Amino acid sequence: MWFPDWPLRRPDAPPGEPCQVVDDRNLVTAADVRAREAGVRPGMRRREAEALCPAAVTLAADPGAEAVAFEPVAAAVEAVVPRVEVAHPGLLFVPLEGALRYYGSEQAVVERAAAAVAAAASGEPGRIGVADGPFAARMAAADPPRVVADTAAFLASLDIGALGVDDVVDTFRWLGIGTLGDLRSLPRAAIASRFGPAGLQAHRVASGEDRSPQPRPVPVDTAAEERFEPPLTGLEQAAFAARAVAGRLMAALAPSGGIPHRVEVEAESAAGTVRTRTWRSADPFTETALADRIRWQLRAWVESGGVPGGLVRLRVAPADLSDRGRQLRLTEDAASGLEERRALARAQALLGPDAVLQARPQGGRLPGERVQWHRWEEPPGAPAHDPDAPWPGRLPAPSPALVPPDPPALEVEWDGGFPVRVRLGSRWEPVLSWAGPWRSIDRWWEGRHPVDRYQLVTSAGAFLCEVGPDGCTLAGVYD
Amino acid sequence: MADIGTARPAPGAPDAVPGLLDAHPGRVLALEGPPGSGLTRLGLAVLAAHPGTVAAVDVRGWLSPLAAWEAGIPPERLVIVRCPDRGLWAQVTAALLEGLGAVYAEVPAGASDALLRRLGALARARRAALLLRPVRGGIPAGLAHLRLRGEGVAWEGAGEGHGRLGRRLLTLRAAGKGAGGMERHIEVEDDGTDAVRVVPGLAAAPSRRAAG
Repeated sequence: MWFPDWPLRRPDAPPGEPCQVVDDRNLVTAADVRAREAGVRPGMRRREAEALCPAAVTLAADPGAEAVAFEPVAAAVEAVVPRVEVAHPGLLFVPLEGALRYYGSEQAVVERAAAAVAAAASGEPGRIGVADGPFAARMAAADPPRVVADTAAFLASLDIGALGVDDVVDTFRWLGIGTLGDLRSLPRAAIASRFGPAGLQAHRVASGEDRSPQPRPVPVDTAAEERFEPPLTGLEQAAFAARAVAGRLMAALAPSGGIPHRVEVEAESAAGTVRTRTWRSADPFTETALADRIRWQLRAWVESGGVPGGLVRLRVAPADLSDRGRQLRLTEDAASGLEERRALARAQALLGPDAVLQARPQGGRLPGERVQWHRWEEPPGAPAHDPDAPWPGRLPAPSPALVPPDPPALEVEWDGGFPVRVRLGSRWEPVLSWAGPWRSIDRWWEGRHPVDRYQLVTSAGAFLCEVGPDGCTLAGVYD
Repeated sequence: MADIGTARPAPGAPDAVPGLLDAHPGRVLALEGPPGSGLTRLGLAVLAAHPGTVAAVDVRGWLSPLAAWEAGIPPERLVIVRCPDRGLWAQVTAALLEGLGAVYAEVPAGASDALLRRLGALARARRAALLLRPVRGGIPAGLAHLRLRGEGVAWEGAGEGHGRLGRRLLTLRAAGKGAGGMERHIEVEDDGTDAVRVVPGLAAAPSRRAAG
């Protein structure tokens, strides 16, 4: 059951105006009808989408809130058929084997589910498809509901682009493989040797085997469980618990090399009610992805009053293990990653979260501007400046290794506009050579003054200095 | 970083020292010299040769990851730990040595010799490479496997107001077991992008090489 553009169903979406939602990687996750007419498609870059439809309102994705909004829908379907699997807010899968015997026919199940959902979700009705396997069902999803009798024939007629793996799909097209049927007719071994795991996966999906054909046996006692005394009531605490439980589950699975495609989240409230929900993902879960899913689920339950009295027990059990776990390098041992994380977590505990940092490149002219900091283990936000833009006047490499955040004053002696001596500590060093001045005039409309930059070379090293109206400051040390 | 390879002996010196500038597990590399002597970048380049996650302890908040990336450390493998508190510095560095294979640590002024020796012992026990870059002063004798002291740095590329900084040549005094037990002078060439290369053949102590 699929609700396209679920992320758009939120209170702050402006009615009557084109609108799109972008995720933290700046990719469009949903666009409404008017934005689609202008050519905006999910998966597009934000900049591209804004160029196509400049009038559109762009909203930042909030998967947690989407999960909360989706909870009534999932609960409504669960009332008709138990064991609902949520792939992400807006897409859920329902296994029909048991329900068919109970309700009699596929049509009857679909009608009941559609009626239940229509009561729970306002707005555009969901699209429902019935087929063998989640991929085929997702492709068949339509309004009114579509029941596919012959899944193999249905898949064979689909365009190869349905796979959604761009780089492999492009090569397939180039080789003249236009539909999933063309792909399926090729020998699997040939595809596997030419395209590797990605091709093998594509062939499996095209053959209707997208549930891992031979699920690995789940090792006993791998479920991660945590009990809370006193019960957790706050969302923050629950989110923290989610992260810890996800980490323990992944650590428990790591020795067998397995990694789950599906997990069952079970929560028990202080009042004794037990709630269970299954989450599935096309790609195997990573620890952060798993922690996010658990957190969304807990948030949805907490906000809908599903855990009265607080959370006393949280259990996460894996299902559908895949062997696509992380392959260790030859020289790497399984414990080293864990130890690295423990060491950094310990440093973080000593110094606080803002002291253990990672950085990634972004656009800018000065060394300080070209770095986007983020906390270790937290996703970096969108870069404030495009790293691929040209940035004329950027300071050339090599970059200074030391860049003071508050540039201290530097005493420089000038002779006719040429730097002659620099004061380093208590002594004056003669300037042997220098490069510059490079004048930078930016944001003059905000009252910023032009600045001249020099690279000064002395026998004690090279320095980057900035000369502004207030004198000369040390902007960097080439140490 | 195959270029941080062999430092060939000066003419007349008896033995070759292979892998002089490598991050050896369990060894301490001391980088001494005033700011500007080019040792931060050298340390980062040595750190880049380590295959796993590496941490840099930054006591002043000055360390620029841009230089680390240019030295060859991929952004996702570098964690910068800012530790302005002198009292916590040793604890934090010790915590990092417990789990990481290579740690670059600026040493705040006033860190006691005993503390540094304890960290050296921990690095040996955990088989982690420890690079110490004192903000001021030096490292106690006998602690470091290799001690590099910046003697001079000569830059090329900048003229009288034209050009820009390009290649540089560091003159270092190497001492300790890693240098073959005797004091020797080596030159390290750094062309500013990624490779740092030890230049073979440098005889006696150069006097004021930086005057270029």
